[in-house]
Amino acid sequence: MTTPSTTERQDSAALGRAVPPVGGRTSKPPRRRRLDTRGRPLWMLLPGGILMALVIVIPLVLGVVIALLDLDQYTLRSWLSAPFVGLGNFVEALTQSSLLRSIGISASFALIVTAITLPIGVVAAIATQNAFRGRAVVRSIFLIPYVLPAFVVATVWRTILQPSGIANHALSVFGIDGGLWLNGPKSYWALVFVAIWSSWPFIYLLALSGLQSVETEVHEAAAIDGALWWAKLRYVIFPYLKGPISLAIIIAILHNINNFTLPFVLFGVPTPDAVQVMPVLTYIASFQSFRFGLSAAMAICSLVIVAIPLFVYLRAVRLDSGDEKVVTETEAAR
Amino acid sequence: MSAVTASRTKRTPAGSRSADVTRLLPKPLLVVILVVLMVFVLVPVVYILFASVNSDIAVANGAFLPTEFTLANYSKIWTTVALGRGLANSVVVAGSVAVVCAFLAVATAYVLVRFQFRGRLTFLRALLALQSIPGTLLLLPVFVLFSSAASYTGVQIIGTRWGLFITYLTFALPFSTWVMVTYLRGLPRELEEAARIDGASSWRILTRIVVPLSWPGIVVSGIFAFLLGWNDVLFSSIMTNPESRTAAVALQVFGATQEGGALPVYGQMMAAALVCAVPVVVLYLIFQRYLVGGLTAGGVK
Repeated sequence: MTTPSTTERQDSAALGRAVPPVGGRTSKPPRRRRLDTRGRPLWMLLPGGILMALVIVIPLVLGVVIALLDLDQYTLRSWLSAPFVGLGNFVEALTQSSLLRSIGISASFALIVTAITLPIGVVAAIATQNAFRGRAVVRSIFLIPYVLPAFVVATVWRTILQPSGIANHALSVFGIDGGLWLNGPKSYWALVFVAIWSSWPFIYLLALSGLQSVETEVHEAAAIDGALWWAKLRYVIFPYLKGPISLAIIIAILHNINNFTLPFVLFGVPTPDAVQVMPVLTYIASFQSFRFGLSAAMAICSLVIVAIPLFVYLRAVRLDSGDEKVVTETEAAR
Repeated sequence: MSAVTASRTKRTPAGSRSADVTRLLPKPLLVVILVVLMVFVLVPVVYILFASVNSDIAVANGAFLPTEFTLANYSKIWTTVALGRGLANSVVVAGSVAVVCAFLAVATAYVLVRFQFRGRLTFLRALLALQSIPGTLLLLPVFVLFSSAASYTGVQIIGTRWGLFITYLTFALPFSTWVMVTYLRGLPRELEEAARIDGASSWRILTRIVVPLSWPGIVVSGIFAFLLGWNDVLFSSIMTNPESRTAAVALQVFGATQEGGALPVYGQMMAAALVCAVPVVVLYLIFQRYLVGGLTAGGVK
């Protein structure tokens, strides 16, 4: 079974920070840890590589082809002979469909949810970082929303938020008329709220792993200097969280943009206009309206807003651990 | 979680005082934060439990505490919707995906971590990028690909559990491989090098040394693959028929019965939702410490 130190090292390595390798290898500074070039069992890459090529890469290319065709349920069987419409689907998607609005909804949804889950997750991590009686239980409880499958979460909140349901019942105690949460303009905020409930523990986990990299000596130094708790947080602790938190932000944004299950199950089809996020829009275009070509064009357009956080993510994650850095650089120069 | 234990043992000489030193918030504030968050998380969870033993009318009228206690919901869910078949399909598909994916991932990661070859970094980068491709973008092309395969070769994939198996397996591979890559990097190479000198082949080193040493990582990447299959609604809503339907889709049928005009079967819906969550929660409780490590390592759900 894994020793605590390997897990710790793993965590921080993936978070893109330089971590000294185990076993005192640090003492020989730029020693290049060469990778084997002889007897490479490259055939072992084949099963996984072929699968990924067949079920991910080829469909990606196929998606581009479909976007250029006027494909509906009648032409689907012999899609190769469907009429070629060039960029017609893209023009239609951008001018006559609600694609641009959906992109706006998706982007604002992802940003709002991430912006709100961020402080919740960080505060929760700070609050559970010291040992106290029952901390293990509290930590497990904090992870419940994240562990529950999204379709379960959405089903439950669908029941809670129904017009005469428990949510409105609770609100009426305070004299507030909740109204409709699963229809109309307020459905957007219902989606935001449920997404916050189910996704904040992810930020919490990454913030926690960042806090654990703060050495006890640092805490002691701050105590000797007599730092007040908020000054310590601001100037001592937060700098440690910068790396893991930035990574958490990017990944959270990616997840929120790509979230299909939550809106789909929470509202059912047809979804209210206010929550027609991109994944739902492309899904409806293909499997409700059967405009396959249009849907593929929409999906490709929507890649644009996924591409921004994805690009940042790929730059942020270190592909190789520190001791292989030399190889990385030579390969990059090639 | 395991990292916590590590830092705690490191601190033991300092004794109980260290807990005070590392404290970041004043105690009253700490208590307030913990209570607020616990309520925020637990109220909906407790509500599931209560609603699942309540009557439909009471749930529909927004009662929190059950007005009556009945376990009938738990016995009815198996006949209202074929939830049993759904759960069986989910277990078979997600379970086999988990096993196959974990072993493909360890073999792929082994080559990526230990050998130098042209395109290695591209492969690693692709692993990260492929995780972020929206499933909705691939759903239609995969569907078209599978149905064309059926019309050209006569092998029906859509509607069978095989279709889901292949799809989930492939979509789980990038993340599982990435988890194994970070895991294998933490393993010392000395044993492998010794075996190499003794003339062992790469296959032998992989199966006799790498796999036995990396069980925790293999379990984690297998569980993530399992969760991907178990939690998916997108592909299973399109690529299954009532025979091969997974639990996730079967649960949606309770929602559909509600649109029939009759009283919604809320109680059963909550009971079924709970039943669908149980396998996941059990897995999580058993492997909690490894899962949390793997999650932060890959940085992706």
